This record gives sequence, C-alpha cells and structure tokens, in this order.
Amino acid sequence: METNTEFKHITENKLGLPTEFPPLPSMGGYVLFAGIVRDVNDGRSVTHLEYEAYSEMANQMIADIISDTLKKWDLQYAECIHRLGKLMLGEVAVIVNTGAIHRDEAYKANRYIIDRVKHEVPIWKKEYYVDGSSEWSQGCVDDTHNH
Amino acid sequence: MKILLLSFAALKDYFPSKQELSFDGTKSVSELKSYLSNLNPDATNLIKISRISINQIIAKDSDSIVDGAVVAILPPSSGG
Repeated sequence: METNTEFKHITENKLGLPTEFPPLPSMGGYVLFAGIVRDVNDGRSVTHLEYEAYSEMANQMIADIISDTLKKWDLQYAECIHRLGKLMLGEVAVIVNTGAIHRDEAYKANRYIIDRVKHEVPIWKKEYYVDGSSEWSQGCVDDTHNH
Repeated sequence: MKILLLSFAALKDYFPSKQELSFDGTKSVSELKSYLSNLNPDATNLIKISRISINQIIAKDSDSIVDGAVVAILPPSSGG
C-alpha cells in the first residue's frame, strides 16, 4: 500500500526516545509510554514482528484520537507515533507521550491514547516464532485492557 | 458500479491486497461481506469480525457503497 510514505503518526523509521521534554513551562507532569517487542507472546518464543498498516487512514485515526484526548483532558502536550516494518526484540513499536499541568491528566490521557490506538487503528502485527512459523496477531480481545 | 477493494493482514491469505470489483447496482457493506464470504468461504469467520472502511471512514453494515469508492476490509487491529 503506501509503503515508504512518511506520515506524522506512522513511520517506517526506527523510533528513538526523546532526548528532551517539550519546552512548556506550565507542564508539571510528563508521561512517556513505549510499546516494545518482547521475546514471548502467549507462551511462544518470538524472534521478530512485522507491522503493516493502512497508513493514510491509520495516521488520520491517530490524529483524531489525539484530538479527542485534548478535548477530554487539559493537556499541554499529546503525541503518538507508531512504527511499521520488521522490528527485532527490544525495538520500540509505538510511543505515546503526554504532558499536563499535573500528573493525573497526563497518565489518564496516555492510557486512553494507547488503548484506542491498539483497538481501533488499522495497524496489524505478524509474529515470527523461533520454530520458523509465523502468525498474524489476533488483536486485543481483552476489553479490560489488563495486559 | 466499480470499487477498489483493499485487503490487509490475515485477509491477504484469502484475497489480493488490491482488486477492482464490479457489481450491478449498489451494494451495502453487509452485502459486500456476504459476497466476499461466498467468493472465499474459508475467509468467512475473519470477514465477520472485520470492519469495512469506505474512502477511509469506518462504515456500518447498513451503509451503501458508492461507485468508485476505495473500500478496505480491516481485520481486528493488533498494533501496539
């Protein structure tokens, strides 16, 4: 589809951690969430993941989720970017960062963004296992988000 | 009418990632899902739990698909 196309919230480039906070004097709390490729899923050893997306639509949906978030909480800052392509263990797949006057809004908004991104945005991952097999992830079926 | 149908992730095991389809008259989202299930019965369960977007907007089963639309069939999301 739209491979090698760069969007604000969808990228094929490696995600690094921000080296400094947004320069916002009123921001007293900043939360950074990173979703990282781990070595085991559902008891199966993973070698790497491949992410694909309906990139243009996914980018717009993440923008809309951030817009909704800014209406729900009094935030100084809200951002989210998701990586596509082949990711090895330990690499960062998604980053959500939120900033607010106080920590409570920053925490709640951050959780809200990642939960909606995982459930709604047209992004999919394929898991590759040590035995050489691979499988598309079934997606999140736990509405409690306790995972 | 003609539509461009995009398939993603696990659905690419059953359908091309991009195909042009032609129908007599209009079709609703649920009619398109039935059509695709008949086309490849093995994909029926996945189609049932997939969402459909019309020109990048998530559609309801009752929505009509317009001529020339880019329609995508989206399995349950698994990003993050």
